[in-house]
Amino acid sequence: MLLAHQIAMENPAMIRAEGVEATEFPDLANQFNVRGVPQTVINAGGGMVVGAVPEQGLIAEIKRALN
Amino acid sequence: MEKLLNEQVISQVKQAFIQMKEPVQILFFGSRENCDYCTEARQLLEELEAIDEKLDLTVYDLQDNADVASQFNVDKAPAIVIAAKDGDQIVNYGIQYSGIPSGHEFGVLINDILLVSGRDSGLSEAVRDFLKHLEKPLHLQVFVTPT
Repeated sequence: MLLAHQIAMENPAMIRAEGVEATEFPDLANQFNVRGVPQTVINAGGGMVVGAVPEQGLIAEIKRALN
Repeated sequence: MEKLLNEQVISQVKQAFIQMKEPVQILFFGSRENCDYCTEARQLLEELEAIDEKLDLTVYDLQDNADVASQFNVDKAPAIVIAAKDGDQIVNYGIQYSGIPSGHEFGVLINDILLVSGRDSGLSEAVRDFLKHLEKPLHLQVFVTPT
């Protein structure tokens, strides 16, 4: 979650990063089929990363999702 | 009401907050309806605010302050926005947490506060460059569970 927040900081006009406590918002977690945590959902399902990944891994998935 | 943060935790947070550089503004959004964790989340943030004067907390209601909620893209409660405070200006960094930050997430909240206080993401130059030149909006939602 901290990494997502670091990412938002670089361009808050374009980026929002929200940590979501899955058990408090089960409908949202179900909507994105959250199975393992942390699970990062990019642009409402345009991309997905399950588990904690380093900076380069998350950026690679973001690039894939935005293309 | 009984305190949520014990003396030991307060002392650890105080230690961590020595690294705080610039002021941080926390915006809390609660709701009177369907919000099991709002009271506890708000109390936790109030106890945290009392630890360091560089940390400021404002409390909003998702319905009554719909304009502020919309300005900060908040659509659920409890929600916590960690923003920068420059004089009277609140600078939104797009950093939000929805839910009560307990267990591991409490530590992340402390790190978020330090991150915003430092006003520097700490990311590599190449990544900063990519993010600064995004042509499409990016919304990241990181799902976590209490540990």
